[in-house]
Amino acid sequence: MIPAAFEYFAPKSLDEALRLVDRHGGEAKLLAGGHSLLPLMKLRLAAPRYVIDLGRVRALRSIREEGGRLVVGALATHADIESSDLVRLKCPLLAETASEIGDVQVRNRGTIGGSLAHADPAADYPAAVLALDAEIVAASNSATRTIPAAEFFVDLLTTALRPGEILTEIRLPVAGRQAGAAYRKLHQPASGFALVGIAARLSLDSAGRIVSIGLGVTGVAVRAYRATAAEQALASKKPNPKLVADAAAKVAEGVEPLADIHASAAYRRASAAVYARRAIEAALLRAAGKKT
Amino acid sequence: MATATRYVGKPLKRKEDPRLIQGAAHYVDDIELHGALHLGIVRSPYAHARIRSIDTARARNAPGVLAVLTAEDVRAIGPIPCAAQIPDLKPAPRLVLATDTARFVGEGVAAVVAADRYRLRDALDLVEVDYEALPAVVDPEKALRKDSPRVHAGLADNVAYRWELEGGDLKKAFRQADRIVKLRITNQRLIPMAMEPRAVLARFEPGEDRLTLWSSSQIPHILRTQIAAMLKFPETGVYVIVPEVGGGFGSKLNVYPEEALACHLAMKLGKPVRWTETRRENFLCTIHGRDQIAEMEFAVKRDGALLGLRARILADLGAYYQLLTPLIPTLTGLMIGGCYRIPSLRVEITGVLTNKMATDAYRGAGRPEATYFIERSMDYLAAELKKDPVELRRKNMPLPKEFPYATATGLIYDTANYQGALDLALKKVAYKKLRRDQAALRKKGRWIGIGLSSYVEICALGPSSAMPAGGWESATVRIEPTGRVRVLTGSSPHGQGEETSFAQIAADFIGVSPDDVTVVHGDTSAVPYGIGTFGSRTLAVGGTAIYHCLEKLRDKLLKIAGHLLQDDPVKLELRDKKIFLKRDPKKSIALGEVIGAAYTAKTLPAGVAPGLEATDFYEPSNFTFPFGTHVAVVEVDPETGGTKLLKYVAVDDCGKVVNPLLVEGQVQGGIAQSIGQVFLEEAVFDEQGQLLTGELMDYAVPRAADIPWIESFRTVTPTPVNPLGAKGVGEAGTIGATPALVNAVVDALAHLGVRHLDMPLKNERVWKAIREASAPAAGKGKRSK
Amino acid sequence: MKLEGRYTLPAAPAAVWERLNDPAILAKSLPGVESLEPDGPDRYRARIQYRVGAISGNFVGTVELSEKKPPHSMRLKTSARGAPGFFNGDGRLALAAKGAETEVRYAGEIQVGGMLAALGQRMVESAARKSIEEFFQVLAASLKPSPG
Repeated sequence: MIPAAFEYFAPKSLDEALRLVDRHGGEAKLLAGGHSLLPLMKLRLAAPRYVIDLGRVRALRSIREEGGRLVVGALATHADIESSDLVRLKCPLLAETASEIGDVQVRNRGTIGGSLAHADPAADYPAAVLALDAEIVAASNSATRTIPAAEFFVDLLTTALRPGEILTEIRLPVAGRQAGAAYRKLHQPASGFALVGIAARLSLDSAGRIVSIGLGVTGVAVRAYRATAAEQALASKKPNPKLVADAAAKVAEGVEPLADIHASAAYRRASAAVYARRAIEAALLRAAGKKT
Repeated sequence: MATATRYVGKPLKRKEDPRLIQGAAHYVDDIELHGALHLGIVRSPYAHARIRSIDTARARNAPGVLAVLTAEDVRAIGPIPCAAQIPDLKPAPRLVLATDTARFVGEGVAAVVAADRYRLRDALDLVEVDYEALPAVVDPEKALRKDSPRVHAGLADNVAYRWELEGGDLKKAFRQADRIVKLRITNQRLIPMAMEPRAVLARFEPGEDRLTLWSSSQIPHILRTQIAAMLKFPETGVYVIVPEVGGGFGSKLNVYPEEALACHLAMKLGKPVRWTETRRENFLCTIHGRDQIAEMEFAVKRDGALLGLRARILADLGAYYQLLTPLIPTLTGLMIGGCYRIPSLRVEITGVLTNKMATDAYRGAGRPEATYFIERSMDYLAAELKKDPVELRRKNMPLPKEFPYATATGLIYDTANYQGALDLALKKVAYKKLRRDQAALRKKGRWIGIGLSSYVEICALGPSSAMPAGGWESATVRIEPTGRVRVLTGSSPHGQGEETSFAQIAADFIGVSPDDVTVVHGDTSAVPYGIGTFGSRTLAVGGTAIYHCLEKLRDKLLKIAGHLLQDDPVKLELRDKKIFLKRDPKKSIALGEVIGAAYTAKTLPAGVAPGLEATDFYEPSNFTFPFGTHVAVVEVDPETGGTKLLKYVAVDDCGKVVNPLLVEGQVQGGIAQSIGQVFLEEAVFDEQGQLLTGELMDYAVPRAADIPWIESFRTVTPTPVNPLGAKGVGEAGTIGATPALVNAVVDALAHLGVRHLDMPLKNERVWKAIREASAPAAGKGKRSK
Repeated sequence: MKLEGRYTLPAAPAAVWERLNDPAILAKSLPGVESLEPDGPDRYRARIQYRVGAISGNFVGTVELSEKKPPHSMRLKTSARGAPGFFNGDGRLALAAKGAETEVRYAGEIQVGGMLAALGQRMVESAARKSIEEFFQVLAASLKPSPG
């Protein structure tokens, strides 16, 4: 469990980090919490020549409200997010998702930026940021741009981030009134990753109709996705148990589920429907102001 | 015990804990020796491959590399020892490095030594091995086929041995039976997963011709003897030291290539050499456990009386034999009848070779398999015969007055009250109410299952006549001039807590506090030759050796005190560091004064030698047979197949208890490991023999949150086998719990007609069973009622 | 593990066949292949730098075409070894005209060993699928008339 030799940088500012990324390009890897990169390096399944540790770029760890949005710095740890009063109040779905990641040790070290940039198909956050229509902010030496979550996850371990870019923060809409959200997850018992993870976010109008809905799905396919067929089945409708169950059954429609020793494709598909229904039910209860 | 029990029986906190909790304990990897070099092993990525050639030049020339060795260079080292004596066992010798063929993923093919771990790791990748992949055999049933690839080309097939055991008239039993009930049960392969992986440090001092080996082991003396033999080095010059050990569970009851290689290299290079296993190596090349398939066939009467049992067991041994590999399945055979009166019985075991790491002793070693097979069968039989599983068990249990009880497998069960443990468990779990609740909840769509297991195990291994390499244990107890008591044991505790329980026993005998007692183990130059810690033997066998030493020392103290007090020693008593006249406690002498007399040797009675030291080699007359009943309550999620353990009650009878905290700890830990086997753990291989669960990312072990509060109770039936009355409890939890848990899940699905499920009961497996049983067209899982 | 699927390429089977037998095109389309040198008929020595996300590794191995039935079917075998372990791919490609295009059906098996096996089945299978997808994408691009 010893990585190959690498050169280590610990920039103190984002500008300095960007310059390093620019200089070392494809041979560099960014180190945040290290919970994806370091195991790969120790197994020698990754051997970057340069490691740029973002740990000292303090500004990237902030969590704040800005212009009506919740802004979470890329270096915020899962524990930061899970325990932040601001996140719990403004975007409880993100806090709930963070609380379901790995174990205490993982949550104390792992970061949201690291997790999103690694894009493990079974990571938890992708479901939440998709459901929330979050925006992911990427900075480079020349510019800063905003990537909608729906365009961020491109393929297995592959995101829309370009060479030379650093994911700096995630911007999330603030939960409104009569809104509810929930994350429901089937854990892979060894790694704690999601065999199935469903993030549901919805809001109701005064008549109890669903006016807005987002369903993010992780663990099921090679990349996280929005379950649009299931969303459409509920949009503008007044939910009842059958409607919810039928919609949930569409959560893996058109998707070729992953299969491995932990869950077959058939089980992933079936579980996705069950967990989607449970996530939607919980979100509805919360939107109605009830405890779950 | 023939002395006041002030400490024995009390829940003393462990003497070991402060250093462990504070991180102040020393494991092998914590021991620093100046100039120590680092050993690493190049391992086969193939389960079966011919090694065409090995090019070591690049590695040899890499910076910091001191040596690169292949099988050629270590031909002088003898093979890995196997102590099991099985008639007609086919030879499958393993050398410390593979010569021309690698037979499992992880088998060592070259050894590299470098100045530090970083350069070592780099150099390992520079050894170029040209492999020719050969077809591998992974499935033990396929390994029996005529067209199967052979693990050892020199053998006619993959059958390592066949072993049979028969007692009673089985033919008659099957003739007289009302029903013949068959069930096939698998017990999956597991990774023992000690928290501390294996670690080795070897130093050679040529001036003294002294070879010192630190190893994370359960058997320091056996290791010393075997290493001396493998290296052809005088055993008197070999010093094995086992420091703190972070768990073994049987996986360190063995002799491994790295131990011999490190010693060989330390001698060759004139520098200390160390090796610490990576977690991945621990998965691949430390022994595995279980991996047996049983075909159980019962002859029963309609009323549930068991007449006979025929058990065919297929045991997957892996590619080679480690220390006890072929022996483990025979323990399954011996205990297959469980705690029941089964008048006739036949066991047929086939040990089969496959391209996997060897299986060997893993917590329980053969007995969890036996108990799982028989206890799973009892629930299956109950369902088939439409009997309550409790009543079926009770009907077939021998009564307390029938003990000692001779089994059809030729064992003599020492003593038991199976009904007592069963009744207590039922009472503690409120069985009847639980059954009513279960029925009521089922109507509401909640599936609760209640699972029972009544077990008997074989412990305190064991009489030497029945053990591969002696089953006795040794001890030396010394009272030092300052009054401190030093207990030197041949056992090698590694987490079980005998530093505490042995101190309790010694304190009671000598009239001191456990704080005055130091227990020394694991250092072969300090303690007498011993057998080691495994098979729930340390207290019952090792403790008895200590007991005998203490008896001798106490008698000597009383004799000297009698002389000093001018009174008859039989009228004296020893307590609270004083020796006094029983009828007149005021007439006393301080213990320190008596100890002083023993050492100054100026006022000793005639015929009493100076000093206060006693040694004992204790040979047990029989095994012990602890027993108990466990009850598990689970809930199954009908939609996902997810399982939740709601309640767990364990009643264990391990005889007399020296320290109830230690007993409870062992029971809880054992049950935790069962929870792992039942719900989470399985070594999964692909068809080419690659271990797919070769990291903790894919092999799930239970965590604290997976373990419910375990309600642990005891009945106490002391064994007559040893003076402590203690039987052993290190493996009981694992033995009792596995069937209780599986029976509970199957019971939760009983209304669907599900009768059996094989472990591990992962959500998907349970979900599939629910689906298949619920599908109207299938009807397969359903049986007409 | 077994993999199968299909991919439609924008050219007739004869053109696809030609591309599949062109080492320069093969080198370009097989993911991670840095160089492909002939090593006997229909056999090439390959240097591969494989990369998916943060995972990467260097391998040397062979690419072999066999059982060729132009322009209908062939067998494509790759085997490579490196510090992270080994991987073997053995697949059959069947070409069928579909209008002006060609549908390629593939079925094969992937085997990995060494540290690669530690990545877990989920990752290996997903990475293999991704690689196959990339292979066809590059092949498809090579079949499109170049713009100018």
